[in-house]
Amino acid sequence: MKKIQFIIAVLIGIFSVNIVQAQDDLSPERKQAIDSLALEKVRDLSKYISIIGSKTTPWSEANRVIDRADELFMAGAEIGVSSISRPEVAYYKVRQYFERLMRLNYDRVEIEWFKIEYVSDLQRQPDGTYVGVITIFQKFKGYDKEGGLVYEDTTKKDITVYVKRKETQIGGRIIGFWDVLLGDMRVKETSK
Amino acid sequence: MRNSCNRITLGKLVFLQIAGFLLLFSVLGLEAQNRGLGNAQVDETALYAMTKQMSQFFSRFNNEEDQFGEKLQPSSQEWRNQQQRRTVLPLLFDNHNPRTSGSLRDYFIDDLTNSDSSFLQFKGGRWYAEVSSTFLHQGEEVQIILILMIEKENLGSKWVLTNVYYPAFSQLFPTGEIAEREKHFLHPMSHELDFMNIYKAFQRPEVIEYYASGNYQPDYLSLFFYEVKKGNLKFKSVDKLKFHIFQIKNWYFEVNWFNRSGNNTGWLISNLMYVAENEKEKLLMFYQP
Repeated sequence: MKKIQFIIAVLIGIFSVNIVQAQDDLSPERKQAIDSLALEKVRDLSKYISIIGSKTTPWSEANRVIDRADELFMAGAEIGVSSISRPEVAYYKVRQYFERLMRLNYDRVEIEWFKIEYVSDLQRQPDGTYVGVITIFQKFKGYDKEGGLVYEDTTKKDITVYVKRKETQIGGRIIGFWDVLLGDMRVKETSK
Repeated sequence: MRNSCNRITLGKLVFLQIAGFLLLFSVLGLEAQNRGLGNAQVDETALYAMTKQMSQFFSRFNNEEDQFGEKLQPSSQEWRNQQQRRTVLPLLFDNHNPRTSGSLRDYFIDDLTNSDSSFLQFKGGRWYAEVSSTFLHQGEEVQIILILMIEKENLGSKWVLTNVYYPAFSQLFPTGEIAEREKHFLHPMSHELDFMNIYKAFQRPEVIEYYASGNYQPDYLSLFFYEVKKGNLKFKSVDKLKFHIFQIKNWYFEVNWFNRSGNNTGWLISNLMYVAENEKEKLLMFYQP
């Protein structure tokens, strides 16, 4: 009886090691596919920021987009903002950050994105979830009633990306997929 | 992004211009690369050149990405190509600082590119983050330096605290004069008297550690945890971040964030020293006691 238990334990051990190894060794193609998935989310985020910030977006539409943007992030994610004149990091909850963006006191704003997107290597955290950071750059301009430029900055946004292998059942079959969620975001003004 | 012909042409041009400028091989100089954004003309040259993340610092240092920041496959001829590395490495130094832009830098680059083992590894150990932070100590702001390193755990890795530097802690353990230290001891026959003399060790608390073993080293991290647990130290903010890298044989360097205009920005080497491996051990005691 003990012998059988031992064999079962060994088999389970081998099986779990194989699973762990299979997850650890992401092929370059798989990594590229995951990077694309993560970039897709970040591009959605930048699109939503432009819509939320735009003064031509109706209030109800902006609120709807805030909901969409909020869904991109993990629960509890925070946004840390600093500028050259105020280096201390101010922390905002994701929704709070978007609501502030929507209420900015300018008559017209221009939000533009640079075409540079930098994707870090994915690293695994102790629970096996992959974590990476995507860096993007944004140019912001705020105008007053007379059309005068009253504020402008260029910010670097470093966005945490969590990637996890998940499974779902479709028509009785187990289908594996990569779930990508955004995490904390650091917003830093650059002296450009 | 990768599909854009314009971007590729722009990226190549930018990269060649930056490399040329820094190596003084080009007489063309730097010409701003402009892209129209609404009414504004935006110069992206600096953002291409910026070492945007420490991940990118590692990738550029090892020549594991191309000029557009795209990862090179290990099967590619360009991956870790030493000749290309020679052109990329100078971009990773603070070139406003004579300590990191002179002949020492060139020796370092020679050493790196003449060895097949001089590549940085994220999980290779011997690299540390120095986080300068502000805490509140009994309502007053104090500066404390936290040292962290990457540690492997279960399926992945994480940053862990290895040491702290807080002058108030170090002042608790002054080195002291040898003559003074030699006055404080419990003689070797104290046990026969039921340690009736041990009260002397506690008469002057400021030198209590003189009664400890010669190998005794104060553990500042435990003191720090104690103060935090007791509620005497409260975290306020992170002020500055830099990295100390000891991974390369016989070299130590420091990497800092440079937020300034121009093409020499982002995470750059701000200090470089030739340190023999046996001398490193002493230095490492501070980062990972």
